[in-house]
Amino acid sequence: MSILEVKGLEKVYVSRFGGSRAEALKNVNFSVEAGEYVAIMGESGSGKTTLLNIIAALDKPTQGEVFLDGQNMNALKESSAATFRRNNLGFVFQEFNLLDTFTIEDNIYLPLVLAGKSFKEMSGRLKPIAAQLGISDILKKYPYEVSGGQKQRAAAARAMITMPKLILADEPTGALDSRSSDELLHLFAQINASGQTIIMVTHSVKAASTAGRVLFIKDGEVFHQIYRGNDTDEQLFEKISDTLTMLATGGMRK
Amino acid sequence: MKAQLYPRLAVRGIKNNKRVFVPFILTCAGMVMMFYIIVYLAVSPALDGIIGAETLKQMFALGSWVIAVFSAVFLFYTHVFLIRRRKKEFGLYNILGMDKHNIAKVLLWETLFTAIVSVSAGLAAGIALSKFAELGMVNIMRGKVSFSFIVSPLAILRCVQIFGIIFVLLYLNSVRQIRFSSAITLLRSESAGEKPPKGNFFAGTLGLLLLTAAYIIAVKIKDPVSALAMFFVAVLMVIVGTYLVFISGSVFFCRLLKKNKSYYYKPNHFVSVSSMSYRMKRNGAGLASISILATMVLVIVSSTTCMYFGEESAVNARYPREINVYFNYDSPNSIPDLDTINNCLSENGIPAENTVYYRNASFYGIVRGSTVDLRTDRASASEASSSMRLFNIVSVDDINRALGTGETLAADEALVYTDECSLDVEELSIPQVGTFRIKKQLDRFIEGISGTLPTIILVVPDFTATVDAISHSFDFDEDFMFLIRLNYGFDTGRGVDGQTSLYRKMFLLVQEENVKESFGRYNGYSVSAREVEREDFYAVFGTLFYLGIILSIVFVLAAVLIIYYKQISEGYEDERRFEIMQKVGMTEREIRKSINSQLLTVFFLPLAFAVMHVSFAFPMIRKLLLLLSLNNSSLFAVTTGISAVAFAVFYAVVYKLTSSVYFKIVRGASQ
Repeated sequence: MSILEVKGLEKVYVSRFGGSRAEALKNVNFSVEAGEYVAIMGESGSGKTTLLNIIAALDKPTQGEVFLDGQNMNALKESSAATFRRNNLGFVFQEFNLLDTFTIEDNIYLPLVLAGKSFKEMSGRLKPIAAQLGISDILKKYPYEVSGGQKQRAAAARAMITMPKLILADEPTGALDSRSSDELLHLFAQINASGQTIIMVTHSVKAASTAGRVLFIKDGEVFHQIYRGNDTDEQLFEKISDTLTMLATGGMRK
Repeated sequence: MKAQLYPRLAVRGIKNNKRVFVPFILTCAGMVMMFYIIVYLAVSPALDGIIGAETLKQMFALGSWVIAVFSAVFLFYTHVFLIRRRKKEFGLYNILGMDKHNIAKVLLWETLFTAIVSVSAGLAAGIALSKFAELGMVNIMRGKVSFSFIVSPLAILRCVQIFGIIFVLLYLNSVRQIRFSSAITLLRSESAGEKPPKGNFFAGTLGLLLLTAAYIIAVKIKDPVSALAMFFVAVLMVIVGTYLVFISGSVFFCRLLKKNKSYYYKPNHFVSVSSMSYRMKRNGAGLASISILATMVLVIVSSTTCMYFGEESAVNARYPREINVYFNYDSPNSIPDLDTINNCLSENGIPAENTVYYRNASFYGIVRGSTVDLRTDRASASEASSSMRLFNIVSVDDINRALGTGETLAADEALVYTDECSLDVEELSIPQVGTFRIKKQLDRFIEGISGTLPTIILVVPDFTATVDAISHSFDFDEDFMFLIRLNYGFDTGRGVDGQTSLYRKMFLLVQEENVKESFGRYNGYSVSAREVEREDFYAVFGTLFYLGIILSIVFVLAAVLIIYYKQISEGYEDERRFEIMQKVGMTEREIRKSINSQLLTVFFLPLAFAVMHVSFAFPMIRKLLLLLSLNNSSLFAVTTGISAVAFAVFYAVVYKLTSSVYFKIVRGASQ
C-alpha cells in the first residue's frame, strides 16, 4: 500500500508584481510504499526542497495533489496542517534546527509535549530510541555543548519519537563530517530496516546510495529513478554516479 | 568623491537601522529637552519674584545634574545594544576591504549625525515647551506670570556641553568595541554561541535577603528621623537586591519550575519556562532596571503629588489658626492666663476670634513597662529607637476648652493621647513625680501639637504642679530637652492681606517692652501666619512636585526605551526559534499563545516587583512625609494607588505597542 502519493505537482513562483515566473516544479508524479527508503537527488535549484516543503504542507502547490496515508494535504487548514505534521511526519534538517533554549532531551520531547503526552510516556519512549541512536549520555546537555553528529542524531530522535508515518530528511548529512555522515546514514538504514518509511533529499551520492530507491529531479520534473534491487551500496553508488554524469552532460533523453 | 563616501555610508547605516536608531534618537532628544527645561528654570528670571527662589533654583540645578548623570549612564547602556546590532554590518565592511580606521570614520559621521539631530530636536522641543513649563511652574507656585518669551543661551550652551561630552564618550566606546574584534567575530557576533544560564544560588539568596531586610527596615521603623537616615540605605539595598534577584534568583526559580516535571512538560509552560530561564540572566539586568525605574516613578509621583495636594491639610495641621504664637518659659508659674492675653490684644486693636489657648511641657522619656525614665542617655541605641517617646504634659482645663469636652480628673488620674505609638498600661509613673492612673485614652486632640515623633500626651489635672515636679525631679541641662510653652492661636476674620498685616502687627507687638509683660517673662517666641507659611509650602512642595514630574518623565522615557530594545532584540533572537517550532509542528496560534504568556510574565514581573517595593516603602515614606507635617495617610494611599494604576495602564499600552513590533519581526522570518 502506498503511504505517499504525489500527483501532477506543479509549483510556480511569481515575483511580487507578477512580472516574472519561475517554475520550481512541473508535473511531478511518484508514490512511496510503506517501509520504503527513498532518496531524492538533484542539483541545487532543481526543486528538491520545494518538493519536500509541499509534502510537509509547509508550502502550497500551484497545481496537483499530495496524499499522505490517504489524506489530501492541500485540503488541510494551516492549524490542522500543523497538527497533522506533528502527528504523522518527522523531520531531519541539514542545520539540525534544535532550539538552543532546550536541553537535547527537551528538544526531543518538544513534539510530544505539544501533543500533550505525559512525562512518563515521553521518557518511556525516549529510552530505546536514545539507546539506538547512541545519545543516552548527552541528553542533559545543551545543543551548543555537543558535536554536529550528535546534534543530528538528536534531531533524528526528535523525528522518530512521535512514531511518524513518514520521516522527511532534508540534506541530513550536509553539515556533517564524513564519519558522522556514515554513522547517521547507517542509523537511517537501521531505522528503515525496522519498518520506518523515509524520504531523504540529498545531493550526496554517498547518502543516496544507502537508500532503497533513488529519484532524480531535474528542472522540476522526476527525470529518472533507480531501484536498489539486490545491489550493494557500492554498486548503487556507481549507478547513481553514472546517472548523474548522464544528467549533467544531458545524454539520456534526446 | 571619497570625502562624501563616509557621510553617505553613515546616513545609509542610520536609514537601514531605523528600527533601532529612531527610538535612540527620540530618547536622546527627550533627555536633551528635559535637561534644557530644567536648566532654563534654574536660570529663569520669572521665578525671582517668588519667596525662596534661591532654594528653588538650587533644587533645579541639582535636578539638572541628576538628569545629566542619568542620561549618560542610560544612553551608554542602550548604545551598547545599538552597536551589537551593527557589528555584523561593520564586519562585512571590514571583509570588503575597509580597515578599522575607515569604519571609525563611518562611525564618527554616524555619531555626529545622531548627535546633531537629537540635540537640535531636543533643544527645539525644549525651547518650545520651556515657556509652558515656566507657566506651569509659576502657576504651581501661585506666583505672578510674565508673558515674555525667552530663549536661554546659557541653557543651550549647557545642553550642548553635557550631551556633546556624552556623545564623544559613546563614540569612543563604539570605536573601542570595533577595534578589538576581528572581521569574523564581528560578522558572527550576533549568532555567537550562547551559554545556558547557571543560576547562582548564593547571589540569588543574597538578593532575597537584602530585599527582605530592606522591607523589614521599611515596615518596622518607628520614628521619622531614623526613617530619613535609613531610607537611603533601604533604597540601596532594594536596588542591589532587585538586580541580584532578577539576574540569579529568577534563573534559580525557573529551574525549580523545570524540576517539577508535570508542570514543565505542558504545552503552555514548556516553551515559555525554558526561554524565560534562558533569557533571564542576560535580560535580568534590563528587567531589574525597568522594575527600579518603575519603583522610582511610583515613589516620586505618589509622594510629590501627595505633598502638593496634601499641602492644605499640612498647613492646617501645623498652623491650626490664622495667626499662631507660642512663647517658651522657664517656669510654668510665669505663664499668663487667657484673659491677660486677650485684653492685651484687644487693647492693641488685634481682633481675636476662635482662639485656642493651651500650655504644654515637652520632654523625652524612655517607656519601660509603666515607668518613664527621663535619663534618655542611659538607653541603648536599640532601646532608644524602640521605646523613646516625646512626652507632652497638658492640663485637663486647657483641653476641655480647646476641644469643648467636659473631662474631669481626680488628683492621681490622667488622660492619654498617643500619636504614632501606643501605650497599653493601667498606670504610668514618673519617678519622683508621681503615678498616674490612666483614666481614658483620647481619640482626638488639639491640632498642631502632635509632631513627627512617636508622641505621648499626658493630660493631668494640675499643670503647674506636675510640670514643676518634673522640672525639679531631674537636672535638665542642655543635653536634655525640657520645654514649657504657651500656645496661642486665633482667627481674624480678615482676608489674606488683612491677615498678613495683622501678622506683622502681632510680630512687632510681642517685642514691645511694655507689652511683653502681658505675655509673661518668656525666653523665646514665635509668630506665624498660615497665609504667609502657605506660600512657603507652595514654593517648596510645588518645586518638589514639579521636579518629581520632570524626573518621572525622564525615568519613564528610559523605561520605555529599555522595553522597546528588549522586545526587538528578543524578536531578532526568536526569529529562528519561531521558524523551527513551526517546522516541528506548532501552529501559529500555539506559538503566539506561548510567546504571549512568556512576554506577559517577563513584562509584568518588573511591574509586580515595583508594586511590591512601593507597598513596602509605603510606611517608610509616610513617616518621611510626617517630617513635612503631612500626616494624611489616606491621601498618600490614594495618590500611590492612582499612580500605580496609571503606570500599569501606561505600561500595558507600551507593552502592547512594542510586542506588536516583536511579532512583526518574528513573523517576518516565516513569511
